[in-house]
Amino acid sequence: MRRLLFNLLPPLLMASIVCLAAELVVRRGWIADYLLPPPSQIWKALTEAGTDLWRGSAFDNKIGGLAATARNAFEGFLASAIGGVAIALLLASNRWVKQAFYPYAVFFQTVPIIAIAPMLVIWCGFGSPTVRAAACIASIFPVIANTYAGLIATDPALRDLFRLYKAGWFSTTFKLRLPSALPNLFTGLRIAAGLAVIGAIVGEFVGGGGLGAVIETAKPQLRNDKIFAAVVLASLLGLVMVSLVNVLSWFALRRWHASERK
Amino acid sequence: MSKILSGLVVSLLLAGSAVADSITLQLNWKPEPQFGGFYTGQVDGIYQKNGLDVRVEPGGAGTPTVQMVAAGNVHYAVVSADEVVIARSRGIDVVALFAVYQTNPQGIMTRAARGFTDIGDIFKQPGILAMQKGLPYALFLEKKYGFGKLQIVPSPFGDLTAYRTRDNYAMQCFVTSEPLAAQKTGVEPKTFLIADSGYNPYTTVLVTTGDYLKSHQDEAGKIVTSVRDAWTKYLADPKPTNEFMQKLNPTMDTQTFADSAEAQKPLIETEETKTNGIGSMTMKRWADLIDQLADLKVIEKKPEAKDCFVEMKKE
Repeated sequence: MRRLLFNLLPPLLMASIVCLAAELVVRRGWIADYLLPPPSQIWKALTEAGTDLWRGSAFDNKIGGLAATARNAFEGFLASAIGGVAIALLLASNRWVKQAFYPYAVFFQTVPIIAIAPMLVIWCGFGSPTVRAAACIASIFPVIANTYAGLIATDPALRDLFRLYKAGWFSTTFKLRLPSALPNLFTGLRIAAGLAVIGAIVGEFVGGGGLGAVIETAKPQLRNDKIFAAVVLASLLGLVMVSLVNVLSWFALRRWHASERK
Repeated sequence: MSKILSGLVVSLLLAGSAVADSITLQLNWKPEPQFGGFYTGQVDGIYQKNGLDVRVEPGGAGTPTVQMVAAGNVHYAVVSADEVVIARSRGIDVVALFAVYQTNPQGIMTRAARGFTDIGDIFKQPGILAMQKGLPYALFLEKKYGFGKLQIVPSPFGDLTAYRTRDNYAMQCFVTSEPLAAQKTGVEPKTFLIADSGYNPYTTVLVTTGDYLKSHQDEAGKIVTSVRDAWTKYLADPKPTNEFMQKLNPTMDTQTFADSAEAQKPLIETEETKTNGIGSMTMKRWADLIDQLADLKVIEKKPEAKDCFVEMKKE
């Protein structure tokens, strides 16, 4: 109970202070509301009847903005989790393979999705497929880099032990190297979870649907309150995704790794 | 206190600032013929001749020109008439001074091979329409024609990849821009003006704030005079200014600059401007626009048409 209080109280307190301050400076007329929509306006936008933040729009199969972004961000994240680990395993399998492919893995980190977006739309199709691809591209690199770092840092003594017992590639990888890389892998996933949400929204700017489309629609109507409402929802979505990774990490590591022990 | 705070926030938010003493004129897109006259004023020293030190600042996708001018970050800015009405209905005090396009240059472009003869045809058969959905004219088209048969996708903002690869694709465009590029791809375009559907706000409109106008009447008058002279000059001979703009925007080639400058002429010079002068506006058109935007529920409170613009008569 005490721990829960300690976990929740400081962030909630912080949020209240920031909200109150924002509300005050706008109400007092120090900052115009079209430059900084006050929390009360953002709340109104969030709870507006029939808003496309929640309700379906013509863009995306009649499901609400948040639901669409959540689904696509999660699927893109899943793809980068699986793909990222697979690529990291490949890279760690052989020095030559690593030399050949690692520089290109960096590509995923630096590629400006907006620039390749028109092609992404052509390759993948409008709507969800493009959004999922954007989420995956934006989030895969941290998974590759961190998992790879974990894979090549296996305790040499344990590797020798496995070699001594004539363990094959399969047992060495799945009983030793991958488990010992798990803490790194989860670090990568934590970073990827947030990036997948950003990637999804950027994807939606070009592919359509979700919170990205809501933001694009609100912009020409000077609905900054709605844009901020969408940003709040996107942040919450990121928080939920990171929390999911944390729960997973706790289950996987609590028995043996210092980072998840009290 | 309030000035300092909002100033701080604005410079943090927008990372743009006006240099003291010089007047900033903020554009909402890259240097292209649609802003030709504003640059001619600089190239030919017309601002200078009228005792003005004007800096023309290019913009980009999503440059928040309304917010910038309202916050006092820039003195003058280019927006569209519907933005003025929306801003005013939200209590943002922007006032139009000069309207470059009498006919809205926004349109919808699709392949000529589809055989459409009227803008309404686009909505009659299944296809893809790339359009920023929140735009007032998108709402107007949806209300008038219905989007039931179309898949609406985000605007590619000038990128023609989808246009080239899909034969049932239509996209929002500036009739002075994308169709010229489309022609070069070898896929013959057909363009329809949004204005033909009945929605025709003034576009590329020079604005400032009511407050600034009150304290700078004289300067604003000189700006409008300079801009009008400069546009007249640009329409007669766009070449020197185009060369100047191309240095700022080298991705657009010389021929496209020339073609675009030619294509926009009939949208800027109309029967009305022959008598009232280039850039002039009428109460009726502002009132019509306000009614349309209220009808589309883009605005809740109707601003007064007479507050939206200030007519600076031709001398």
